[in-house]
Amino acid sequence: MAKYYDIDDILTEEEFVPVFFHKPANGVTIDPSAETNCVEQGAKVELPFWLAHELHLRQAVSINLPACFDQKTRLEIQADAPSVDLRSRCQYFYEFGCKLQPLVTDRTIGILLSTAFKIRYKETLTKVYTAAHITASKFLPLLTKEETNLYEAAHLSMTAFKKWRIGGPRFQRASILGRKRKESN
Amino acid sequence: MYGRKGYQLVKDFASGEKGHLKPFNSKLFDETIEECDQNHHLIQSLIRKMQQEGLDVQNNRNADHYGALIHHLSLIRNKRCLMAYVYNRVEIVRDLAWRVGLELLDLPSEIQEKLTTLEKEYFKNHSVAIKSYMGKVGMELNVDMVPPKDPYIKVRIVDDIDEGIVMGDKTTNFARHSMHFLKRTDAEPYIARGQMEELTG
Repeated sequence: MAKYYDIDDILTEEEFVPVFFHKPANGVTIDPSAETNCVEQGAKVELPFWLAHELHLRQAVSINLPACFDQKTRLEIQADAPSVDLRSRCQYFYEFGCKLQPLVTDRTIGILLSTAFKIRYKETLTKVYTAAHITASKFLPLLTKEETNLYEAAHLSMTAFKKWRIGGPRFQRASILGRKRKESN
Repeated sequence: MYGRKGYQLVKDFASGEKGHLKPFNSKLFDETIEECDQNHHLIQSLIRKMQQEGLDVQNNRNADHYGALIHHLSLIRNKRCLMAYVYNRVEIVRDLAWRVGLELLDLPSEIQEKLTTLEKEYFKNHSVAIKSYMGKVGMELNVDMVPPKDPYIKVRIVDDIDEGIVMGDKTTNFARHSMHFLKRTDAEPYIARGQMEELTG
């Protein structure tokens, strides 16, 4: 399990999915609509993905598609992918979709993810290399976490290249120490 | 319940800037451990209930079993969050040892405040391990982090440095804003800590 300690992986698995219980469960207060502290067979509950995944492996639930992959999002992506605000739907859209794909009966998630990613990635890279900071700041809040990482990596490589062209101090204060505070005399 | 506290802990870590430490959130850490204890209690009570009904705990898949399963999974999840929190912080501490300096007292005080005693212990042991390895290999491994161009560089002192540091064969007095022409290997640790800056051109 190479991703056991990975923070992004943990946060991806926290996303909620709607599940349908095949077996009842006692002594748990997961179902907010139940009066007693148990889950009835046939109940529909929203569970975090890590729990839904494990219960699915033991055949206690079946997983349905969450709202961020519904028809509205699909149509918006088909219309104009770069302007869809994927971050507000799901911060880890692509990773989450990849994890969901083998568990759900819907077979079209893979195509949806790859088309959306291809178009948005191209837009992201063009923005890094050409846009001024102001236009980029309108575009950045729409990106998911994975896309933001790619954007920052491209930005870093761009600044490193410019620095190399101009030449400048190569020894830097260790970035781990944070930004320099202005000294108060 | 059900992994909430662990999630909050991990979110707290992720909300800091990448590669930077926040102060150790011992309150949330303890709350997560408390949540694990609650889950454990509930598992035990459900298993006891099954045993009282005379059912075979291992193989019987009734409602109590699934309830206990859900609590067990939440406990494992909280454990994963706790471990990831500590692991990622310690990764940053290791990075500190390589980039900034091998002595705990060389670290700026605001970083030292953010570390717990255990993390400081880890830092010291890690530095000792690095030093012994460098001794056996016979090379200093934490210099030349940037590929060198010149053996000497010009620096300006930015912060107050203790008087009378021996550099090479003479003792130099590092007054603030003074400029010096030093060997790159000597100046590198001070630049990494932000006490000097390199001058070019």
